[in-house]
Amino acid sequence: MAPPEEAGGGDQFPVGMKVLVVDDDQTCLAVLKRMLIQCRYDATTCSQATRALAMLRENRGAFDVIISDVHMPDMDGFRLLELVGLEMDLPVIMMSADSRTDLVMKGIKHGACDYLIKPVRMEELKNIWQHVVRKKFGGNKEHEHSGSLDDTDRNRPTNNDNEYASSANDGAEDSWKSQKKKRDKEEDDSELESGDPSNNSKKPRVVWSVELHQQFVNAVNHLGIDKAVPKKILELMNVPGLTRENVASHLQKFRLYLKRIAQHHAGMGNPYGVPASSAQVASLGGLDFQALAASGQIPPQALAALQDELLGRPTNNLVLPGRDQSSLRLAAVKGNKPHGEQIAFGQPIYKVQNNSYAALPQNSPAVGRMPSFSAWPNNKLGMADSMSALGNVNNSQNSNIGLHELQQQPDTMLSGTLHTLDVKPSGIVMPSQSLNTFPASEGLSPNQNPLIVPSQSSGYLTGIPPSMKPELVLPTSQSSNNLLGGIDLINQASTSQPFISSHGGNLSGLMNRNSNVIPSQGISNFQTGNTPYLVNQNSMGMGSKPPGVLKTESTDSLNQSYGYVNHMDSGLLSSQSKNAQFGFLQSQNDVTGGWSSLQNMDCFRNTVGPSQPVSSSSSFHSSNAALGKLPDQGRGKNLGFVGKGTCIPNRFAVDEIESPTNSLSHSIGSSGDIPDMFGFSGQM
Amino acid sequence: MDYANLRRQAASLKRSLFDQGYLDEQFCQVEDLQDEASPNFAEEVVSLFFKDSARLVTNIEQAMEKYPKDFNRWDAHMQQLRGSCFSIGASKMNNECTSFRNSCREENAEGCRRSFQKVKREHAVLRQKLESYFQLLRQAGPARTTAVRSGGK
Repeated sequence: MAPPEEAGGGDQFPVGMKVLVVDDDQTCLAVLKRMLIQCRYDATTCSQATRALAMLRENRGAFDVIISDVHMPDMDGFRLLELVGLEMDLPVIMMSADSRTDLVMKGIKHGACDYLIKPVRMEELKNIWQHVVRKKFGGNKEHEHSGSLDDTDRNRPTNNDNEYASSANDGAEDSWKSQKKKRDKEEDDSELESGDPSNNSKKPRVVWSVELHQQFVNAVNHLGIDKAVPKKILELMNVPGLTRENVASHLQKFRLYLKRIAQHHAGMGNPYGVPASSAQVASLGGLDFQALAASGQIPPQALAALQDELLGRPTNNLVLPGRDQSSLRLAAVKGNKPHGEQIAFGQPIYKVQNNSYAALPQNSPAVGRMPSFSAWPNNKLGMADSMSALGNVNNSQNSNIGLHELQQQPDTMLSGTLHTLDVKPSGIVMPSQSLNTFPASEGLSPNQNPLIVPSQSSGYLTGIPPSMKPELVLPTSQSSNNLLGGIDLINQASTSQPFISSHGGNLSGLMNRNSNVIPSQGISNFQTGNTPYLVNQNSMGMGSKPPGVLKTESTDSLNQSYGYVNHMDSGLLSSQSKNAQFGFLQSQNDVTGGWSSLQNMDCFRNTVGPSQPVSSSSSFHSSNAALGKLPDQGRGKNLGFVGKGTCIPNRFAVDEIESPTNSLSHSIGSSGDIPDMFGFSGQM
Repeated sequence: MDYANLRRQAASLKRSLFDQGYLDEQFCQVEDLQDEASPNFAEEVVSLFFKDSARLVTNIEQAMEKYPKDFNRWDAHMQQLRGSCFSIGASKMNNECTSFRNSCREENAEGCRRSFQKVKREHAVLRQKLESYFQLLRQAGPARTTAVRSGGK
């Protein structure tokens, strides 16, 4: 036989590409390793999935692509696929001696980039580098162009789906996605078209600052979520310079977010299989968080409180078992990375573009594909759902684990944190019934209905007044991250996760920037006070406060979780990684910016300002989890979504960030796709 | 001369293994992976395979005794073994594995047992043949790979 050809034929890129092979069969490992070496890749083998996962978590950037067997004794290959997709957004290739179509289908749905049948041949291995590149670049491109629709579209492709669509559920993903897409299309079609394209295109972006978002939310609440049409909202808002399109796209995102939350709550059992917790969500009374989140400034306390609400209040939605709360908190806390990295609040919101909402649910198992982790990958939101709500990592992406996991294992994934979030309110953003914490102005009454819910206090977005429950406030940065992450997860699954960023302060309403906004969490990073935290995970540019503000008060955690816009990458991502739980909170740590809501809203798309730089590459690497991916930390099982870049749902810079850094990491974290929650992408 | 002879023998043994269906194309790929850096790669892999597969065969045997009707379990174990066979191109053995799995699917315990016996037999035969093969190669010296490879094809 002819000597094996070199992979990449002269192209430098594939050479040295780092591959991790996971298979319990030693023989196969030996053969594959040799083949990979002959392809001039850098191969590492591991016979245990758990160890492989630990390795990946420790160092996200260590590998570019993963090849995993389906049948393994310690962990199901699909599960690993989801987890990796959610947390790290790395391309995962499945492999098996079993070539049954249903298994292959399952693999694709979970977000596998490819499915090889054993015996694996050299020729097939030579091509795997394409997946890495595709993921890397595909996500970026998409972010740029997509509006929410795009995201969904993006999600469609199986490969990338991992991130958004939580492929976790076999089939669920498909249905979910199509549902989502349909829904999105139906509702927002007209608006979206007008809104997004215009927003996304040359028009100056509207920066959905916290105040602006608050106004928006108020208007929506006033009109009633069902009756809220852009025109009327525009009139009510009475903001000069704001166009109907801006409102339309923002509304679309918002709706997606709500939906997502609703989905998560409603069922986690949704097609995605979202973890049960979602069931509760049903009407998220707790959307408050969302509102808060929306406002972009959810004081950490608020967030935590929100979380608690969500988590603890089984009633409405967040059925979060006690565990969830803590997990959420953790998530939140985790998510919050040191602000420094995270999104600078105040920075432009990550491109929360519409995509974020819808986008989040990436097909891939992991949280939405968000290649760039920066934006919280929708997955994250989805994740949030799953958690309690968060837990549901929207299957995004490869089975983005985040969502998938969430969905599938609601509890395991999120480790309970977000579970309660169940953000899935039927449309109402906040699952947690009373996110109350959101009501920013009002002092988040937990009972406030889900964010957007009109019933809620319009204050929802308005920063959560200090009165907000401290609990809501997402546990310091870390937990907030989780929340976000969790919410992210939820969102992810549901499409634009409502980001309940309840900022205590004036959340610009950034709330969920990405659709992924972690619904469940209600991420509402409620930051107490009016810190413009970007509650949004997607660091949507918290408006009101200058970047960095996010950190305010305790919100650090919040910020982190949100992967704030500015930092999106780091924030989101980081949280994610931390939040093993959901993955949403991505920014665990740094998500600080998470809420940077609205201010930088337009950042999202625009790559949110400098902060955004998304360090994506770096953050993404790790962030992959950010978005929805829960940081491996082990928190709870990382919902997987967390990763996506804790970046707040907007694509925040996800596009940019997406940088494959992990390139492999499935977009899970890369929330890049996450459309601005509220369409912040536009500027006023 | 001696070497050449040995090489020829190795080549012809290999050819016969292919002809009789013991090995398939995958084995060639494995051998191709050898180079200066890993001159004995094929042999190493094969011995790894036998070590692993012996263990798996034992597992299946135990499973069949301990869990008399647990076809799923047997099937899962066999799937693992099958994967290994694929990796080195042990095609006859693989066929028997497949028929074992079919019997499992039909929940035909007797069929399973029969297939399993065949699997064990093929496993032993293959091992013995490959051992001779590699021994010849070792004796034939460094040039063997090239010769054998082409011979084997």
